[in-house]
Amino acid sequence: MSRNLCAKAGYTYTFLSDPNAEVIRRYDILHRAAGPNGQDIARPAEYLLDASGTIRWLNLTEDYRVRARPEQIIEQAKALQ
Amino acid sequence: MKRRWNWHLWAGFLLCVAAFVSYLFVFAKFPVTRDIPWVNFLLFAVGVALLVVGLQRAFGQPQQYRGKISGPILGAFSLLVLVFFCYVIFHMTKQLPPPSAALRVGQKAPEFVLPDTNNNPVALSSLLSSPMPGLQTPPKGVLLIFYRGYW
Repeated sequence: MSRNLCAKAGYTYTFLSDPNAEVIRRYDILHRAAGPNGQDIARPAEYLLDASGTIRWLNLTEDYRVRARPEQIIEQAKALQ
Repeated sequence: MKRRWNWHLWAGFLLCVAAFVSYLFVFAKFPVTRDIPWVNFLLFAVGVALLVVGLQRAFGQPQQYRGKISGPILGAFSLLVLVFFCYVIFHMTKQLPPPSAALRVGQKAPEFVLPDTNNNPVALSSLLSSPMPGLQTPPKGVLLIFYRGYW
């Protein structure tokens, strides 16, 4: 499904699937029973890591309509060494 | 004397419906019209204004205009659509669990391995250490985006 989605949306970056929400749980961003069929899904979140894998910026929105904007992330990414 | 068709009522009603539907199919796609749905509130405002004019005509000049029965019904439906839109925008999409403080700036992002779209396992550590196609040096960073379903 995510393959079709990527092709349709034209995403060329690495697109990973977390069907059992293991990593979502590890990052503690699980939104219980919020999926269309009552599945556990992720709350939207963005993490910017530096080359050592350390979190340099993150965004956990409080309204799932409102996400980080590309220009906002690019500005943060420019600050990475 | 035949009373005239009260088009303001119908136009107002249709505009209120369009204000709701267009958010889902058009304006939610662009951050500038999604985060604060100003276009849709503008459409609702024009729709409600048309309904008010229509209702004034229906009840103020009932010899000339129709709509004493249809007017209140269309008005009530339009109001219902507006109330539901406000419910979605100001309440429903804010229903998220409280943000976790488990991960903060300065901490290491937990390692993981997940399948990509070709079912090949991909580790976070390999994303951090392997150069992007066509480049020689590893990336300066990695952006992790967790989607909520489709978007």
